[in-house]
Amino acid sequence: MSHSESIDLPERAPARMVERGADPKPGAFARRAAQAWEQATGTRMAGYLLVAPAVLFLAVWFVWPVLTMVHLSLTSRVVEGVSVEGFTLENYVRLFSSDLYFRILLRTVRIALLTSLFAALFAYPLAIAIARGGPTLARLVTITILAPLLVNVVVRSYGWQTILNKTGALAWALKMFGISNPPVLLYTEWAVLIACVHVYLPFMVMPIAGAIGRIDRSVEEAARVAGATRLAVLTRVILPLSLPGLAVGASLVFSLSAAAYVTPQILGGNFSPLLGTLIEQQMLTLNDWPFGAAISTLLIALVLASNLIFLKLVGRRFARWTAGAR
Amino acid sequence: MNETVSLPLKITVGIILALVVAPLIVPVLMSISDTPYIVFPPQGFTLKWYGEVLANPEARGSFLFSLELAAIVTAVSLLLGIPCAAGLTRYRVPGQDAVLGLILSPLIVPLIVTGVALLQVFALMGWRATLMQLVIGHTVVCLPYVIRSVSASLLLVNRSLEDAAAVLGAPPHVVATRVIWPQVRPGILAGGTFCFIVSFDDYPVSMWLADGNHFPVPLYLYTIIERSFDPSIAAIASLMIFFALLLVLVIEKVFGLSLARLAS
Repeated sequence: MSHSESIDLPERAPARMVERGADPKPGAFARRAAQAWEQATGTRMAGYLLVAPAVLFLAVWFVWPVLTMVHLSLTSRVVEGVSVEGFTLENYVRLFSSDLYFRILLRTVRIALLTSLFAALFAYPLAIAIARGGPTLARLVTITILAPLLVNVVVRSYGWQTILNKTGALAWALKMFGISNPPVLLYTEWAVLIACVHVYLPFMVMPIAGAIGRIDRSVEEAARVAGATRLAVLTRVILPLSLPGLAVGASLVFSLSAAAYVTPQILGGNFSPLLGTLIEQQMLTLNDWPFGAAISTLLIALVLASNLIFLKLVGRRFARWTAGAR
Repeated sequence: MNETVSLPLKITVGIILALVVAPLIVPVLMSISDTPYIVFPPQGFTLKWYGEVLANPEARGSFLFSLELAAIVTAVSLLLGIPCAAGLTRYRVPGQDAVLGLILSPLIVPLIVTGVALLQVFALMGWRATLMQLVIGHTVVCLPYVIRSVSASLLLVNRSLEDAAAVLGAPPHVVATRVIWPQVRPGILAGGTFCFIVSFDDYPVSMWLADGNHFPVPLYLYTIIERSFDPSIAAIASLMIFFALLLVLVIEKVFGLSLARLAS
Protein backbone atom coordinates (compact mmCIF):
# COMPACT_ATOMS: atom_id res chain seq x y z
CA MET A 1 0.00 0.00 0.00
CA SER A 2 0.96 3.61 -0.21
CA HIS A 3 2.21 3.87 3.34
CA SER A 4 4.91 1.24 2.73
CA GLU A 5 7.43 3.94 1.90
CA SER A 6 7.13 5.44 5.34
CA ILE A 7 7.59 2.08 7.00
CA ASP A 8 10.84 0.87 5.43
CA LEU A 9 12.97 3.76 6.61
CA PRO A 10 14.09 3.03 10.14
CA GLU A 11 17.75 3.73 9.34
CA ARG A 12 16.99 7.36 8.54
CA ALA A 13 15.24 8.05 11.80
CA PRO A 14 18.34 9.31 13.62
CA ALA A 15 19.02 11.71 10.77
CA ARG A 16 15.54 13.13 11.27
CA MET A 17 16.21 13.58 14.95
CA VAL A 18 19.34 15.55 14.23
CA GLU A 19 17.56 17.59 11.67
CA ARG A 20 14.79 18.40 14.12
CA GLY A 21 17.26 19.67 16.64
CA ALA A 22 18.90 21.93 14.12
CA ASP A 23 16.00 23.07 12.00
CA PRO A 24 12.41 23.31 13.24
CA LYS A 25 10.98 23.47 9.72
CA PRO A 26 9.31 20.27 8.51
CA GLY A 27 11.83 18.47 6.37
CA ALA A 28 11.71 15.87 3.65
CA PHE A 29 10.12 13.29 5.91
CA ALA A 30 7.15 15.47 6.70
CA ARG A 31 6.63 16.04 2.99
CA ARG A 32 6.85 12.35 2.21
CA ALA A 33 4.48 11.49 5.02
CA ALA A 34 2.07 14.15 3.71
CA GLN A 35 2.34 12.66 0.22
CA ALA A 36 1.65 9.20 1.55
CA TRP A 37 -1.33 10.52 3.50
CA GLU A 38 -2.58 12.34 0.43
CA GLN A 39 -2.33 9.19 -1.70
CA ALA A 40 -4.01 7.13 0.97
CA THR A 41 -6.99 9.46 1.22
CA GLY A 42 -7.21 10.26 -2.46
CA THR A 43 -5.52 13.57 -3.45
CA ARG A 44 -6.81 17.08 -2.99
CA MET A 45 -10.43 16.12 -3.49
CA ALA A 46 -10.37 14.78 0.04
CA GLY A 47 -10.37 18.35 1.36
CA TYR A 48 -13.48 19.19 -0.60
CA LEU A 49 -15.22 15.99 0.36
CA LEU A 50 -14.55 16.54 4.05
CA VAL A 51 -15.78 20.12 4.06
CA ALA A 52 -18.73 19.64 1.71
CA PRO A 53 -21.37 18.08 4.05
CA ALA A 54 -21.17 20.88 6.63
CA VAL A 55 -21.03 23.59 3.96
CA LEU A 56 -24.01 22.16 2.10
CA PHE A 57 -25.95 21.79 5.33
CA LEU A 58 -25.41 25.44 6.26
CA ALA A 59 -26.06 26.65 2.70
CA VAL A 60 -29.43 24.88 2.58
CA TRP A 61 -30.61 25.39 6.17
CA PHE A 62 -29.09 28.74 6.99
CA VAL A 63 -28.14 30.85 3.97
CA TRP A 64 -31.16 29.92 1.89
CA PRO A 65 -33.71 30.57 4.70
CA VAL A 66 -32.18 33.93 5.61
CA LEU A 67 -32.08 35.05 1.95
CA THR A 68 -35.67 33.86 1.46
CA MET A 69 -36.69 35.94 4.45
CA VAL A 70 -34.95 39.10 3.21
CA HIS A 71 -36.51 38.51 -0.21
CA LEU A 72 -39.99 38.15 1.29
CA SER A 73 -39.62 41.42 3.21
CA LEU A 74 -38.99 43.24 -0.08
CA THR A 75 -41.49 41.54 -2.39
CA SER A 76 -44.66 41.15 -0.42
CA ARG A 77 -46.85 43.09 1.96
CA VAL A 78 -50.04 42.39 3.80
CA VAL A 79 -52.90 44.84 3.24
CA GLU A 80 -55.93 44.19 5.42
CA GLY A 81 -55.09 40.54 5.80
CA VAL A 82 -54.44 39.90 2.11
CA SER A 83 -50.91 39.64 0.80
CA VAL A 84 -49.94 41.81 -2.16
CA GLU A 85 -46.97 40.73 -4.30
CA GLY A 86 -44.42 42.96 -6.02
CA PHE A 87 -41.34 44.92 -4.99
CA THR A 88 -42.04 47.13 -2.01
CA LEU A 89 -40.29 49.03 0.76
CA GLU A 90 -43.59 49.47 2.58
CA ASN A 91 -42.64 47.01 5.35
CA TYR A 92 -39.55 49.03 6.21
CA VAL A 93 -41.30 52.40 5.89
CA ARG A 94 -43.95 51.16 8.30
CA LEU A 95 -41.34 50.28 10.89
CA PHE A 96 -39.96 53.82 10.89
CA SER A 97 -43.15 55.80 10.31
CA SER A 98 -45.36 54.17 12.92
CA ASP A 99 -44.80 55.72 16.32
CA LEU A 100 -45.50 52.42 18.13
CA TYR A 101 -42.95 50.40 16.13
CA PHE A 102 -40.35 53.15 16.10
CA ARG A 103 -40.54 53.40 19.90
CA ILE A 104 -39.86 49.67 20.18
CA LEU A 105 -36.88 50.04 17.85
CA LEU A 106 -35.50 52.92 19.93
CA ARG A 107 -36.07 51.00 23.17
CA THR A 108 -34.20 48.00 21.74
CA VAL A 109 -31.18 50.11 20.81
CA ARG A 110 -31.31 51.95 24.15
CA ILE A 111 -31.46 48.76 26.23
CA ALA A 112 -28.72 47.12 24.16
CA LEU A 113 -26.45 50.17 24.61
CA LEU A 114 -27.15 50.52 28.34
CA THR A 115 -26.65 46.78 28.86
CA SER A 116 -23.23 47.03 27.18
CA LEU A 117 -22.33 50.07 29.27
CA PHE A 118 -23.33 48.58 32.64
CA ALA A 119 -21.88 45.18 31.74
CA ALA A 120 -18.56 46.91 31.00
CA LEU A 121 -18.66 48.76 34.35
CA PHE A 122 -19.24 45.51 36.25
CA ALA A 123 -16.87 43.54 34.05
CA TYR A 124 -13.69 45.56 34.65
CA PRO A 125 -13.24 44.77 38.39
CA LEU A 126 -13.98 41.09 37.66
CA ALA A 127 -11.64 40.98 34.67
CA ILE A 128 -8.82 42.60 36.66
CA ALA A 129 -9.36 40.04 39.43
CA ILE A 130 -9.19 37.20 36.89
CA ALA A 131 -6.13 38.52 35.03
CA ARG A 132 -4.16 39.96 37.92
CA GLY A 133 -5.41 38.18 41.05
CA GLY A 134 -3.84 35.08 42.53
CA PRO A 135 -4.80 31.66 41.13
CA THR A 136 -7.46 31.04 43.80
CA LEU A 137 -9.20 34.38 43.28
CA ALA A 138 -8.99 34.07 39.48
CA ARG A 139 -10.51 30.61 39.56
CA LEU A 140 -13.26 31.59 41.99
CA VAL A 141 -14.28 34.58 39.87
CA THR A 142 -14.11 32.64 36.58
CA ILE A 143 -16.28 29.78 37.85
CA THR A 144 -18.82 32.11 39.49
CA ILE A 145 -19.11 34.14 36.31
CA LEU A 146 -19.31 31.21 33.88
CA ALA A 147 -21.38 28.68 35.85
CA PRO A 148 -24.63 30.70 35.46
CA LEU A 149 -24.23 30.29 31.69
CA LEU A 150 -25.20 26.66 32.19
CA VAL A 151 -28.43 27.69 33.92
CA ASN A 152 -31.22 28.14 31.42
CA VAL A 153 -31.92 31.77 30.55
CA VAL A 154 -35.60 31.27 31.46
CA VAL A 155 -34.55 30.26 34.97
CA ARG A 156 -32.12 33.16 35.31
CA SER A 157 -34.79 35.63 34.24
CA TYR A 158 -37.24 33.98 36.62
CA GLY A 159 -34.66 34.41 39.41
CA TRP A 160 -34.80 38.17 38.87
CA GLN A 161 -38.57 38.03 38.89
CA THR A 162 -38.45 36.51 42.41
CA ILE A 163 -36.12 39.31 43.50
CA LEU A 164 -37.85 42.29 41.88
CA ASN A 165 -41.39 41.15 42.67
CA LYS A 166 -43.64 43.23 44.94
CA THR A 167 -43.20 40.54 47.64
CA GLY A 168 -39.73 39.66 46.43
CA ALA A 169 -36.30 39.60 48.02
CA LEU A 170 -35.42 43.20 47.11
CA ALA A 171 -38.59 44.64 48.65
CA TRP A 172 -37.90 42.59 51.79
CA ALA A 173 -34.28 43.75 51.95
CA LEU A 174 -35.27 47.40 51.50
CA LYS A 175 -37.87 47.04 54.23
CA MET A 176 -35.10 45.85 56.57
CA PHE A 177 -33.36 49.15 55.86
CA GLY A 178 -36.52 51.04 56.74
CA ILE A 179 -37.72 51.83 53.23
CA SER A 180 -41.35 50.80 53.59
CA ASN A 181 -42.67 51.72 50.18
CA PRO A 182 -40.02 50.62 47.67
CA PRO A 183 -40.58 51.16 43.97
CA VAL A 184 -41.66 48.01 42.12
CA LEU A 185 -39.18 47.40 39.33
CA LEU A 186 -40.78 44.30 37.83
CA TYR A 187 -42.36 44.89 34.40
CA THR A 188 -40.35 48.04 33.75
CA GLU A 189 -37.42 48.73 31.46
CA TRP A 190 -35.19 48.72 34.54
CA ALA A 191 -36.01 45.11 35.26
CA VAL A 192 -35.20 44.17 31.65
CA LEU A 193 -31.93 46.10 31.86
CA ILE A 194 -30.87 44.52 35.18
CA ALA A 195 -31.55 40.98 33.98
CA CYS A 196 -29.89 41.58 30.59
CA VAL A 197 -26.72 42.83 32.30
CA HIS A 198 -26.74 39.72 34.49
CA VAL A 199 -27.38 37.28 31.65
CA TYR A 200 -24.79 38.74 29.25
CA LEU A 201 -22.10 39.81 31.75
CA PRO A 202 -19.87 36.72 31.10
CA PHE A 203 -19.56 37.71 27.42
CA MET A 204 -18.08 41.03 28.54
CA VAL A 205 -15.84 39.71 31.33
CA MET A 206 -14.00 37.01 29.39
CA PRO A 207 -12.71 39.08 26.42
CA ILE A 208 -11.67 41.94 28.75
CA ALA A 209 -9.91 39.51 31.11
CA GLY A 210 -8.12 38.06 28.07
CA ALA A 211 -7.02 41.50 26.91
CA ILE A 212 -5.79 42.54 30.39
CA GLY A 213 -3.96 39.23 30.72
CA ARG A 214 -2.01 40.06 27.55
CA ILE A 215 -0.81 43.43 28.90
CA ASP A 216 2.83 43.21 29.93
CA ARG A 217 2.98 43.63 33.71
CA SER A 218 6.14 45.68 33.41
CA VAL A 219 4.11 48.45 31.73
CA GLU A 220 2.00 48.76 34.88
CA GLU A 221 5.06 48.55 37.10
CA ALA A 222 6.79 51.25 35.05
CA ALA A 223 3.78 53.51 35.46
CA ARG A 224 3.73 52.89 39.24
CA VAL A 225 7.46 53.52 39.53
CA ALA A 226 7.06 56.72 37.54
CA GLY A 227 4.62 57.86 40.18
CA ALA A 228 1.21 57.07 38.69
CA THR A 229 -1.59 56.54 41.21
CA ARG A 230 -3.64 53.35 41.12
CA LEU A 231 -6.42 55.23 39.38
CA ALA A 232 -4.03 56.59 36.77
CA VAL A 233 -2.68 53.08 36.09
CA LEU A 234 -6.27 51.94 35.61
CA THR A 235 -7.44 54.75 33.35
CA ARG A 236 -4.23 55.41 31.42
CA VAL A 237 -2.64 51.96 31.15
CA ILE A 238 -5.12 49.14 31.70
CA LEU A 239 -8.16 50.78 30.12
CA PRO A 240 -6.59 51.85 26.80
CA LEU A 241 -4.59 48.64 26.42
CA SER A 242 -7.65 46.47 27.08
CA LEU A 243 -9.82 48.30 24.52
CA PRO A 244 -9.76 45.44 21.97
CA GLY A 245 -11.27 43.15 24.61
CA LEU A 246 -13.84 45.78 25.50
CA ALA A 247 -14.73 46.15 21.81
CA VAL A 248 -15.26 42.41 21.41
CA GLY A 249 -17.29 42.25 24.64
CA ALA A 250 -19.39 45.28 23.74
CA SER A 251 -20.24 43.98 20.27
CA LEU A 252 -21.20 40.58 21.73
CA VAL A 253 -23.34 42.04 24.52
CA PHE A 254 -24.99 44.58 22.23
CA SER A 255 -25.85 41.91 19.64
CA LEU A 256 -27.17 39.47 22.23
CA SER A 257 -29.28 41.97 24.16
CA ALA A 258 -30.67 43.63 21.02
CA ALA A 259 -31.98 40.21 19.97
CA ALA A 260 -33.08 39.11 23.45
CA TYR A 261 -36.56 37.62 23.64
CA VAL A 262 -36.98 35.58 26.83
CA THR A 263 -35.60 38.10 29.32
CA PRO A 264 -37.68 41.09 28.12
CA GLN A 265 -40.78 38.87 27.98
CA ILE A 266 -40.41 37.60 31.55
CA LEU A 267 -39.28 40.86 33.18
CA GLY A 268 -40.81 43.51 30.96
CA GLY A 269 -44.12 41.81 30.36
CA ASN A 270 -46.23 43.58 27.77
CA PHE A 271 -45.06 46.98 28.95
CA SER A 272 -41.63 47.13 27.39
CA PRO A 273 -41.38 44.81 24.39
CA LEU A 274 -38.23 44.74 22.28
CA LEU A 275 -37.83 43.91 18.58
CA GLY A 276 -37.80 40.16 19.32
CA THR A 277 -41.25 40.34 20.87
CA LEU A 278 -42.46 42.41 17.93
CA ILE A 279 -41.28 39.76 15.47
CA GLU A 280 -43.08 37.06 17.45
CA GLN A 281 -46.32 39.10 17.57
CA GLN A 282 -46.28 39.92 13.86
CA MET A 283 -45.49 36.36 12.82
CA LEU A 284 -47.54 34.21 15.16
CA THR A 285 -50.36 36.48 16.35
CA LEU A 286 -51.01 38.80 13.39
CA ASN A 287 -49.71 36.47 10.67
CA ASP A 288 -48.03 39.38 8.90
CA TRP A 289 -45.00 37.45 7.64
CA PRO A 290 -43.54 40.06 5.30
CA PHE A 291 -43.52 42.66 8.10
CA GLY A 292 -42.03 40.11 10.52
CA ALA A 293 -39.38 39.36 7.89
CA ALA A 294 -38.61 43.07 7.58
CA ILE A 295 -38.13 43.45 11.36
CA SER A 296 -35.90 40.34 11.35
CA THR A 297 -33.83 41.80 8.51
CA LEU A 298 -33.51 45.06 10.42
CA LEU A 299 -32.35 43.13 13.49
CA ILE A 300 -29.61 41.46 11.42
CA ALA A 301 -28.60 44.88 10.08
CA LEU A 302 -28.50 46.28 13.62
CA VAL A 303 -26.24 43.47 14.82
CA LEU A 304 -23.92 43.77 11.80
CA ALA A 305 -23.73 47.55 12.25
CA SER A 306 -22.85 47.18 15.94
CA ASN A 307 -20.11 44.65 15.13
CA LEU A 308 -18.73 47.01 12.50
CA ILE A 309 -18.82 50.04 14.80
CA PHE A 310 -17.40 48.35 17.89
CA LEU A 311 -14.77 46.25 16.19
CA LYS A 312 -13.63 48.46 13.31
CA LEU A 313 -13.87 51.97 14.73
CA VAL A 314 -12.72 51.11 18.24
CA GLY A 315 -10.01 48.93 16.72
CA ARG A 316 -8.66 51.82 14.67
CA ARG A 317 -8.79 54.17 17.64
CA PHE A 318 -6.98 51.57 19.69
CA ALA A 319 -4.19 51.37 17.14
CA ARG A 320 -3.63 55.12 17.54
CA TRP A 321 -3.61 54.93 21.34
CA THR A 322 -1.14 52.11 21.56
CA ALA A 323 1.10 53.77 18.99
CA GLY A 324 1.68 56.36 21.72
CA ALA A 325 2.10 53.75 24.42
CA ARG A 326 4.77 51.79 22.60
CA MET B 1 3.13 41.15 45.56
CA ASN B 2 -0.25 41.89 44.19
CA GLU B 3 -0.63 45.60 43.84
CA THR B 4 -3.30 45.65 41.18
CA VAL B 5 -5.82 43.66 43.22
CA SER B 6 -6.29 45.96 46.18
CA LEU B 7 -8.72 45.50 49.06
CA PRO B 8 -11.38 47.92 47.67
CA LEU B 9 -11.25 46.01 44.39
CA LYS B 10 -11.69 42.70 46.22
CA ILE B 11 -14.73 44.10 48.05
CA THR B 12 -16.21 45.36 44.77
CA VAL B 13 -15.63 41.95 43.18
CA GLY B 14 -17.30 40.29 46.17
CA ILE B 15 -20.40 42.49 45.86
CA ILE B 16 -20.69 41.88 42.11
CA LEU B 17 -20.29 38.12 42.54
CA ALA B 18 -23.02 38.20 45.22
CA LEU B 19 -25.30 39.96 42.73
CA VAL B 20 -24.40 37.35 40.09
CA VAL B 21 -25.41 34.40 42.29
CA ALA B 22 -28.39 36.08 44.00
CA PRO B 23 -30.96 35.26 41.27
CA LEU B 24 -29.83 31.64 41.45
CA ILE B 25 -30.12 31.37 45.23
CA VAL B 26 -33.41 33.19 45.85
CA PRO B 27 -35.51 30.67 43.83
CA VAL B 28 -33.93 27.81 45.80
CA LEU B 29 -34.86 29.52 49.08
CA MET B 30 -38.40 30.12 47.87
CA SER B 31 -38.89 26.56 46.71
CA ILE B 32 -38.94 25.23 50.29
CA SER B 33 -41.59 27.68 51.48
CA ASP B 34 -44.64 25.94 52.99
CA THR B 35 -47.11 28.45 51.55
CA PRO B 36 -49.45 28.18 48.56
CA TYR B 37 -47.89 31.33 47.07
CA ILE B 38 -44.36 32.63 46.53
CA VAL B 39 -43.00 34.74 49.35
CA PHE B 40 -39.66 36.02 50.57
CA PRO B 41 -38.36 35.16 53.11
CA PRO B 42 -39.72 31.60 52.86
CA GLN B 43 -42.05 30.44 55.64
CA GLY B 44 -41.77 26.97 57.09
CA PHE B 45 -40.05 24.12 55.36
CA THR B 46 -41.38 21.55 52.91
CA LEU B 47 -40.13 19.49 50.02
CA LYS B 48 -43.62 18.81 48.67
CA TRP B 49 -43.14 21.18 45.71
CA TYR B 50 -40.22 19.07 44.53
CA GLY B 51 -42.38 15.96 44.86
CA GLU B 52 -45.09 17.63 42.85
CA VAL B 53 -42.70 18.62 40.06
CA LEU B 54 -41.02 15.23 39.89
CA ALA B 55 -44.39 13.49 39.73
CA ASN B 56 -45.58 15.77 36.93
CA PRO B 57 -45.58 13.80 33.65
CA GLU B 58 -45.42 16.99 31.54
CA ALA B 59 -42.24 18.17 33.27
CA ARG B 60 -40.65 14.74 32.98
CA GLY B 61 -41.65 14.41 29.34
CA SER B 62 -40.15 17.78 28.42
CA PHE B 63 -36.95 16.99 30.26
CA LEU B 64 -36.54 13.64 28.51
CA PHE B 65 -37.39 15.14 25.13
CA SER B 66 -34.77 17.88 25.59
CA LEU B 67 -32.13 15.28 26.51
CA GLU B 68 -33.02 13.24 23.42
CA LEU B 69 -32.98 16.29 21.16
CA ALA B 70 -29.64 17.52 22.52
CA ALA B 71 -28.12 14.05 22.08
CA ILE B 72 -29.24 13.81 18.43
CA VAL B 73 -28.09 17.37 17.71
CA THR B 74 -24.68 16.67 19.27
CA ALA B 75 -24.26 13.49 17.22
CA VAL B 76 -25.24 15.21 13.95
CA SER B 77 -23.05 18.25 14.67
CA LEU B 78 -20.01 16.08 15.43
CA LEU B 79 -20.66 13.96 12.34
CA LEU B 80 -20.73 17.07 10.12
CA GLY B 81 -18.25 19.14 12.11
CA ILE B 82 -15.26 16.84 12.65
CA PRO B 83 -14.67 16.07 8.93
CA CYS B 84 -15.17 19.75 8.10
CA ALA B 85 -12.63 20.83 10.71
CA ALA B 86 -10.20 18.20 9.41
CA GLY B 87 -10.69 19.40 5.82
CA LEU B 88 -10.17 23.02 6.81
CA THR B 89 -7.03 22.49 8.86
CA ARG B 90 -5.28 19.66 6.99
CA TYR B 91 -6.01 20.43 3.34
CA ARG B 92 -5.82 23.54 1.27
CA VAL B 93 -9.41 24.06 0.26
CA PRO B 94 -9.71 26.82 -2.37
CA GLY B 95 -11.93 29.63 -1.11
CA GLN B 96 -11.09 28.72 2.47
CA ASP B 97 -11.91 32.21 3.79
CA ALA B 98 -15.35 32.15 2.19
CA VAL B 99 -15.99 28.68 3.65
CA LEU B 100 -14.90 29.88 7.08
CA GLY B 101 -17.13 32.95 6.81
CA LEU B 102 -20.10 30.77 5.88
CA ILE B 103 -19.46 28.39 8.76
CA LEU B 104 -19.19 31.13 11.37
CA SER B 105 -22.07 33.25 10.05
CA PRO B 106 -24.78 31.54 12.18
CA LEU B 107 -22.95 32.96 15.22
CA ILE B 108 -23.61 36.51 14.04
CA VAL B 109 -27.25 36.32 12.99
CA PRO B 110 -29.58 36.53 16.04
CA LEU B 111 -30.96 33.11 17.00
CA ILE B 112 -34.53 34.33 16.95
CA VAL B 113 -34.04 35.34 13.30
CA THR B 114 -32.41 32.00 12.38
CA GLY B 115 -35.45 30.26 13.87
CA VAL B 116 -38.04 32.37 12.12
CA ALA B 117 -36.24 32.12 8.78
CA LEU B 118 -36.25 28.31 9.08
CA LEU B 119 -39.93 28.28 10.02
CA GLN B 120 -40.62 30.31 6.90
CA VAL B 121 -38.88 27.91 4.51
CA PHE B 122 -40.40 24.86 6.23
CA ALA B 123 -43.84 26.42 5.75
CA LEU B 124 -42.97 27.27 2.16
CA MET B 125 -41.97 23.65 1.53
CA GLY B 126 -45.14 22.46 3.23
CA TRP B 127 -42.94 20.11 5.27
CA ARG B 128 -44.13 18.96 8.67
CA ALA B 129 -41.69 16.89 10.72
CA THR B 130 -41.17 18.63 14.04
CA LEU B 131 -38.34 16.51 15.44
CA MET B 132 -36.33 16.70 12.21
CA GLN B 133 -36.92 20.45 11.98
CA LEU B 134 -35.83 21.02 15.58
CA VAL B 135 -32.70 18.94 14.93
CA ILE B 136 -31.94 21.01 11.80
CA GLY B 137 -32.50 24.32 13.61
CA HIS B 138 -30.35 23.38 16.60
CA THR B 139 -27.60 21.92 14.38
CA VAL B 140 -27.35 25.19 12.41
CA VAL B 141 -26.71 26.94 15.73
CA CYS B 142 -24.35 24.31 17.21
CA LEU B 143 -22.26 23.37 14.17
CA PRO B 144 -20.07 26.53 14.17
CA TYR B 145 -19.06 25.90 17.80
CA VAL B 146 -18.10 22.30 17.07
CA ILE B 147 -16.08 23.21 13.99
CA ARG B 148 -14.33 26.05 15.81
CA SER B 149 -13.45 23.92 18.80
CA VAL B 150 -12.26 20.89 16.80
CA SER B 151 -10.29 23.06 14.32
CA ALA B 152 -8.51 24.78 17.20
CA SER B 153 -7.37 21.46 18.63
CA LEU B 154 -6.40 20.11 15.19
CA LEU B 155 -4.22 23.16 14.58
CA LEU B 156 -2.40 22.43 17.83
CA VAL B 157 -1.57 18.85 16.83
CA ASN B 158 2.18 18.39 16.73
CA ARG B 159 2.93 17.20 13.20
CA SER B 160 6.40 15.93 14.02
CA LEU B 161 4.85 13.33 16.35
CA GLU B 162 2.96 11.96 13.35
CA ASP B 163 6.14 11.90 11.32
CA ALA B 164 7.91 10.14 14.14
CA ALA B 165 5.19 7.49 14.41
CA ALA B 166 5.18 6.98 10.63
CA VAL B 167 8.95 6.71 10.56
CA LEU B 168 8.86 4.13 13.30
CA GLY B 169 6.52 2.04 11.17
CA ALA B 170 3.01 2.96 12.29
CA PRO B 171 0.42 2.63 9.50
CA PRO B 172 -1.90 5.66 9.00
CA HIS B 173 -4.82 4.19 10.98
CA VAL B 174 -2.56 3.66 13.97
CA VAL B 175 -1.23 7.20 13.61
CA ALA B 176 -4.82 8.42 13.56
CA THR B 177 -5.98 6.50 16.63
CA ARG B 178 -2.87 6.57 18.79
CA VAL B 179 -1.21 9.86 17.83
CA ILE B 180 -3.82 12.28 16.45
CA TRP B 181 -6.87 11.18 18.47
CA PRO B 182 -5.38 11.73 21.95
CA GLN B 183 -4.39 15.24 20.89
CA VAL B 184 -7.77 16.27 19.45
CA ARG B 185 -9.91 14.44 22.02
CA PRO B 186 -10.20 17.48 24.37
CA GLY B 187 -11.33 19.69 21.47
CA ILE B 188 -13.96 17.21 20.34
CA LEU B 189 -15.14 16.69 23.91
CA ALA B 190 -15.36 20.45 24.50
CA GLY B 191 -17.18 21.03 21.20
CA GLY B 192 -19.61 18.20 21.87
CA THR B 193 -20.31 19.29 25.44
CA PHE B 194 -20.89 22.88 24.41
CA CYS B 195 -23.14 21.72 21.59
CA PHE B 196 -25.20 19.62 24.02
CA ILE B 197 -25.61 22.54 26.42
CA VAL B 198 -26.54 25.02 23.69
CA SER B 199 -29.16 22.65 22.31
CA PHE B 200 -30.53 21.72 25.75
CA ASP B 201 -30.90 25.39 26.74
CA ASP B 202 -32.10 26.78 23.44
CA TYR B 203 -35.24 28.88 23.51
CA PRO B 204 -35.18 31.31 20.54
CA VAL B 205 -34.95 28.63 17.83
CA SER B 206 -37.25 26.09 19.49
CA MET B 207 -39.99 28.68 20.05
CA TRP B 208 -40.68 28.71 16.31
CA LEU B 209 -40.26 25.03 15.51
CA ALA B 210 -41.65 23.08 18.51
CA ASP B 211 -45.17 21.74 18.89
CA GLY B 212 -47.18 20.22 21.74
CA ASN B 213 -45.72 16.74 21.29
CA HIS B 214 -42.15 18.00 20.96
CA PHE B 215 -41.85 20.50 23.77
CA PRO B 216 -38.31 21.23 25.03
CA VAL B 217 -37.70 22.13 28.71
CA PRO B 218 -37.02 25.87 28.20
CA LEU B 219 -40.41 26.32 26.51
CA TYR B 220 -42.10 24.28 29.23
CA LEU B 221 -40.47 26.40 31.94
CA TYR B 222 -41.61 29.56 30.24
CA THR B 223 -45.23 28.42 30.04
CA ILE B 224 -45.41 27.46 33.71
CA ILE B 225 -43.85 30.77 34.75
CA GLU B 226 -46.62 32.46 32.81
CA ARG B 227 -49.47 30.47 34.24
CA SER B 228 -48.80 29.26 37.78
CA PHE B 229 -47.98 31.10 40.98
CA ASP B 230 -47.17 28.52 43.66
CA PRO B 231 -43.64 27.58 44.77
CA SER B 232 -43.59 24.61 42.39
CA ILE B 233 -42.12 26.97 39.74
CA ALA B 234 -39.36 27.85 42.19
CA ALA B 235 -38.86 24.11 42.74
CA ILE B 236 -38.48 23.35 39.03
CA ALA B 237 -36.19 26.38 38.62
CA SER B 238 -34.12 25.05 41.53
CA LEU B 239 -33.93 21.63 39.89
CA MET B 240 -32.58 23.27 36.73
CA ILE B 241 -30.01 25.14 38.84
CA PHE B 242 -28.92 21.89 40.54
CA PHE B 243 -28.72 20.27 37.11
CA ALA B 244 -26.40 23.06 35.93
CA LEU B 245 -24.20 22.62 39.02
CA LEU B 246 -24.01 18.91 38.26
CA LEU B 247 -22.98 19.78 34.70
CA VAL B 248 -20.21 22.05 36.01
CA LEU B 249 -18.92 19.16 38.12
CA VAL B 250 -19.10 16.69 35.24
CA ILE B 251 -17.34 19.08 32.87
CA GLU B 252 -14.56 19.98 35.29
CA LYS B 253 -14.01 16.68 37.10
CA VAL B 254 -15.11 13.90 34.74
CA PHE B 255 -14.21 15.44 31.37
CA GLY B 256 -11.28 17.39 32.78
CA LEU B 257 -12.23 20.48 30.77
CA SER B 258 -12.14 23.95 32.24
CA LEU B 259 -15.26 26.07 31.97
CA ALA B 260 -13.15 28.97 30.73
CA ARG B 261 -11.98 26.92 27.77
CA LEU B 262 -15.53 25.85 26.97
CA ALA B 263 -16.78 29.41 26.88
CA SER B 264 -13.97 30.87 24.82
